[in-house]
Amino acid sequence: MDRSLLRTMNGTALALGLTLFAAGPAPAAQSGNVAIRAGKIITNTGEVIEDGTILVENGRITAIGKDVKVPLLVEVVDARKLVAFPGWVEAISNRGMDRANENIDVAAFLDVRDSIDPVNFYFEDALRAGVTTINVQQGSDCVIGGMGHVVKPLGMTVEAMSVVPRAGLVLSAAPRRGKSQATQAQALRRAFGDLRRYLEGIVQEKRDGKDLARREALYQGREPSEGEQPDKGVAMKGTAWKVQGMELVPRWELDEKQVPLLRMVEGDTPAFVYCSSPSEVSIAIEVARDNGFLQRTTFVVDAPCWKAADELAAAGRPVILDSNLVHVENHPVTGEEVRTFVPGVFHEKKVQFALRSQNASTQSLWYQAARCVAYGLDRQTAIDAATKVPAKILGLEQRVGTLEPGRDGNVLLYSGDPLSVTSFVEHVFIEGVHAYDRSKDVRIKHLQTGAQPENTSASEARPEDRTEAEKQGDEGEEEEKDG
Amino acid sequence: MMLQPLWSVALLSVLAAPPQTQPSSSAGSTPTTVFADVVYTAAGEPLRGGSVTFSGGKILAIAPGAPPADGLRVSAITPGMIDLSARIAGMYTVEQEKEVQPGLRLADALDLFDPAWKRHLESGVTTVLASPPDWNVVGGIAVALKTGGPPSVRERALEIEAALRGSMGTQPSSGNSPAFGRPRDFFARRPTTRMGVEWEWRKACYDALAAQKDPARAFDGSEVLLRVLDGKLPVIVQAWATQDIRTAIFLKEEMAAQGKPGMRLILDAAAEAWREPELLVRSGASVVLPPFPAGGRTNDGAFMAWCVGRKLRDLGVPLALSSHGARSDATLDVQAAYARRGGLSLEEALEAVTIAPARMIGIQDRVGSIEVGKHADLVLWSGEPFELSSRVVGVILNGEWALDPRASAKASQ
Repeated sequence: MDRSLLRTMNGTALALGLTLFAAGPAPAAQSGNVAIRAGKIITNTGEVIEDGTILVENGRITAIGKDVKVPLLVEVVDARKLVAFPGWVEAISNRGMDRANENIDVAAFLDVRDSIDPVNFYFEDALRAGVTTINVQQGSDCVIGGMGHVVKPLGMTVEAMSVVPRAGLVLSAAPRRGKSQATQAQALRRAFGDLRRYLEGIVQEKRDGKDLARREALYQGREPSEGEQPDKGVAMKGTAWKVQGMELVPRWELDEKQVPLLRMVEGDTPAFVYCSSPSEVSIAIEVARDNGFLQRTTFVVDAPCWKAADELAAAGRPVILDSNLVHVENHPVTGEEVRTFVPGVFHEKKVQFALRSQNASTQSLWYQAARCVAYGLDRQTAIDAATKVPAKILGLEQRVGTLEPGRDGNVLLYSGDPLSVTSFVEHVFIEGVHAYDRSKDVRIKHLQTGAQPENTSASEARPEDRTEAEKQGDEGEEEEKDG
Repeated sequence: MMLQPLWSVALLSVLAAPPQTQPSSSAGSTPTTVFADVVYTAAGEPLRGGSVTFSGGKILAIAPGAPPADGLRVSAITPGMIDLSARIAGMYTVEQEKEVQPGLRLADALDLFDPAWKRHLESGVTTVLASPPDWNVVGGIAVALKTGGPPSVRERALEIEAALRGSMGTQPSSGNSPAFGRPRDFFARRPTTRMGVEWEWRKACYDALAAQKDPARAFDGSEVLLRVLDGKLPVIVQAWATQDIRTAIFLKEEMAAQGKPGMRLILDAAAEAWREPELLVRSGASVVLPPFPAGGRTNDGAFMAWCVGRKLRDLGVPLALSSHGARSDATLDVQAAYARRGGLSLEEALEAVTIAPARMIGIQDRVGSIEVGKHADLVLWSGEPFELSSRVVGVILNGEWALDPRASAKASQ
């Protein structure tokens, strides 16, 4: 197969050296203009266009179809042997960060943007698997974990990678290390109780005339600034509970550790709530409802939670599934293995579900979608669960998940059917920028052929010889990261 | 009760026509016919639009033609798969008495009630080579048997003594302590290095040669080693890394120089077989590959390039795939899919999980392909075999339904 794209430029001969892994500076432009002529375009809207063109201008798709007029200065990529497909969307991931969790229970004030490592191998691998939108969130070993960030795997800084900052808070009903389900539930509720008591306290201080900020300013020997004048606050929003008198307190005066949680109670922040067992689902729903953010909640559920599918259906909120698609348990009487295909249950109960990769290189979204087809889901539902549904969960349904005018120019070029084991992602365009080219990917060449990249030696990359038992010991390492 | 799966794992979409007729769950004399869009026989070209008929546990006929209205039709039929390196729980107990145990037979120690058997069977693996674990240098004699059927090793076995199992590399020596200082425990006696493992192998072989010349020097299992040296019993040796593959091959060549050229060597888990394939050609050894690792790294520091299957096929090295005790979601059919991703064609991948492993241990006269007279071990697929979007929906073992697509379709309704 011809993997080298033949590039032509209508008019001028500009050279475009935009590959992420090429030595040298990263591309400065984070949105591009490009026209991709593909042998087949799977738009993921039900339409398949044979030999069509996708025109991307300033990072957005402006036209798509058989007869697209390409402006003079836009580079044309000839991919008539390849299949165009929208980039996969990872609904939640705990990777690409320095660490997935903090040690403290309630850490709503943390933001993964301080932890995301743009050169983490995970993002490189995500491109290889065609994942172009990733919701990076704290792991589940928390009570309230912190703020997430939706990124694209392109760019050398978090700012360049950013798609949606402050993309939601992570909460967990799953017991974190050292906690039981009961103490976890208590800690979760207490976080909101603490918030409420804190707010009531500060309002009371104002009412009592203890305008500490003004006194502090005076103590510092300056006139109180405009913002430090009292009576500049706003009333608390929210549907579940309110603290009266918040208009007395300027928002800047609030403890910044409490603000993210307050914003969530006020309905301004999406929530992602981890549940590892069906009984935790009830707790999660209750806490979300009691604190007014249920309508912005997505439940991140482990495989056994299929048993709570009815409850989740009644809550009317989407779920993000564990990478483990089949739940296996032993019958308590006969000992027989009972296997349940988890996405099938949620599909049947009409709960919107998004799939989740195990990590970028194993069981990535394409793999998960293909396995869902194997277990009997219809192909479109399976693909939607890794494109449109996560896009909707992230509030990005107008930007990613399909190839349509107005959407981001996130285009994968596959060598064949995107779900086939014999197909490869040959090229990735993110917002019109050429982010990945398999023919230049030394790591995949190494994996496929054993060819050692230039200027490296085999021994460098070789881990110490380890025994099988040691190996087995950290087999779960990869999955445990979010644990 | 909550355990009843709402979505049991087999789905009905593959069945063009739900059957109204016979339950056909017996191996009796009534012939059963299963139709498929493609019958992959692993013995020649696949048959497009045809059927397989079986009765009394044997295959009666393979014929082209469309099914009657009430016939059972699936997307594809392949022979039952064969895994020469299955790791079924119950095989994990290690005999610690000696590091070289050629006389032990795993057939005497199998737990046929382990749920792993059913898991293997329902994933389409109908025959396995069950081997002793690799914590010994020579672990004992592996048994080739079906993954289902009556709970008796003798009745399930194809060969009670199918191959001698052993290991190169670090595994047999790991955990052993050196003999100097205060001997802490029993393990102080066992090899602690690769050199020691190799020495144990050579010593065992030379001791067996000596026993042949002088019956007084016979030891427990020496006649088993002699059968191996004479090529009467295959020997399957775990060797992940290049150096261990070399060691196994040099042992075979050394024994040939001692007048025993017949050793039938199977290299198991030979992840680095792609590095020196010419050596494999020269030695005539067969290769069983471990599961394809996502990042290429396997055990013993070995790197497995995904082209390994393609490379060995091109050189004519007999090649089989295995699950090697991988997690339950990395079943043998998924390994065959990965082998396709690494460059094998569907038919080549199929051979590597059916007839090729059968030939390696000499059971190809009974299993490994769909041919008249062979055991009726069949796998029914929901789509193209060895695609991630396809799965095993039916399994027939010895002419009996081990997994009936119609039954599971009914259960999920």
